[in-house]
Amino acid sequence: MDAIINLANNSIEFFKTVVEFAPKFIPGVILTLELAFFSIILGMVIGLVVAVLKLTKYKWLKKIMDVYITVVRGTPLLLQLYFIFYGLPSMGIMIDSFPSAVIALALHNGAYISEIFRGSIESIDYGQREAARSLGMTKWQAMKRVVLPQAFKRSVPALGNQFIIAVKDSSLASVITITETMLLARQFGAATFNVFPIYFTAGVYYLIITMGLTKLLSKVEQKLKVNER
Amino acid sequence: MSMIEIKNLHKYFGELEVLRGIDLTVDESEVVCLIGSSGSGKSTLLRCINFLEEKNEGEIYIDGELVTSKDINAIRQKVGMVFQRFNLFPHMTVIQNVMEGPVTVKKMDKKKARGLAMDLLEKVNLLDKADEYPAMLSGGQQQRVAIARSLAMEPKVILFDEPTSALDPELVGEVLGVMNDLAKEGRTMIIVTHEMGFAKEVADRVIFISEGQIAEEGPPEEIFDHPKNERLQSFLGQILV
Repeated sequence: MDAIINLANNSIEFFKTVVEFAPKFIPGVILTLELAFFSIILGMVIGLVVAVLKLTKYKWLKKIMDVYITVVRGTPLLLQLYFIFYGLPSMGIMIDSFPSAVIALALHNGAYISEIFRGSIESIDYGQREAARSLGMTKWQAMKRVVLPQAFKRSVPALGNQFIIAVKDSSLASVITITETMLLARQFGAATFNVFPIYFTAGVYYLIITMGLTKLLSKVEQKLKVNER
Repeated sequence: MSMIEIKNLHKYFGELEVLRGIDLTVDESEVVCLIGSSGSGKSTLLRCINFLEEKNEGEIYIDGELVTSKDINAIRQKVGMVFQRFNLFPHMTVIQNVMEGPVTVKKMDKKKARGLAMDLLEKVNLLDKADEYPAMLSGGQQQRVAIARSLAMEPKVILFDEPTSALDPELVGEVLGVMNDLAKEGRTMIIVTHEMGFAKEVADRVIFISEGQIAEEGPPEEIFDHPKNERLQSFLGQILV
């Protein structure tokens, strides 16, 4: 009997804490959204540029892009964040914490997104390019008008995956003093010693963001699928 | 007047010499059919004409101009190409496929391009499919759209690379019908084909290619009824059972 009363009391305490702290997370959640948004948008731009540059005939450009992808994929994001925020100042390059985080996250996402784009560009039947070129299009016109629109459609499922990873990875920005959701959770937890409900709340916020994103992307996917094989 | 003049064309794929010195002249309004067994080099010859394959040696003149790889985009506007596998753009509707060349390459006004595309779709009997996507069309319909797409650039020559080989037998006729119409209009056409009946009916000249060389050429009656070359005889024997 005592155990049941105890459990009930604990549950009430738990949800009280959740309700109390949920609004306090809002500024952090907004920062998480901003980090994710900018790093995804910039990452897409970087990814597209890198993917296209890798397909040009200039070998040295391809080499540079390969080095970029290898370095980014082969080192931890945590290290990349430290490197930009704590490392670069020793070379006289000072960047504020928020732009540092966006740069690191965007470069990180960009490397993965470029591989997604490259894969889908290469998956487009070569006959498409030949048909475009045989109409007199330049290489770039054929890329822009014929290959990229089709490749982009094929990228959407994999991109969705990467976007969700980007949202979760943004939590690492907490290590360079950005008070996004994760850092707030740690601060609230340290202040109240009531760790469980606070991390629970943070987790729910992340879930809301990633589930919303998944829903949005499957809508985009549906829309793009209409009329096609 | 000669529309296409090819002199001593050689093409290698690595060590393999696929075209071994082709000399060919095609006159304006002439319909030439290229026949030969697979691997003989006939498709490669066609693809060299609009530089989808880069030749290793030889000269190609189109409409009196020597073609170099520098002005291929300009040349390709003069030389239309129809592929075995249609290669329509799946993300565009039928009419957008036909408008794409004029709008993107020639910077034609969209309204004007739409009018032109409508006319061409009417010509290939597909006006009612203008707003469908290629995936909704049969192979024969797709190939007719592909023909309209290449006509939209108002090419001086149209190259057909086995245009009916990927079609179900019952759909071959509609495509050959359109090509027959084009031939009657006086279009210059070079056709790689396995449809001997069609070649016999439409071609002004039939060219038999064997092992990367022109083994025999002449009017269809002569090629099909009185072949002189031994390999041509055995080739015809194999397909005209």
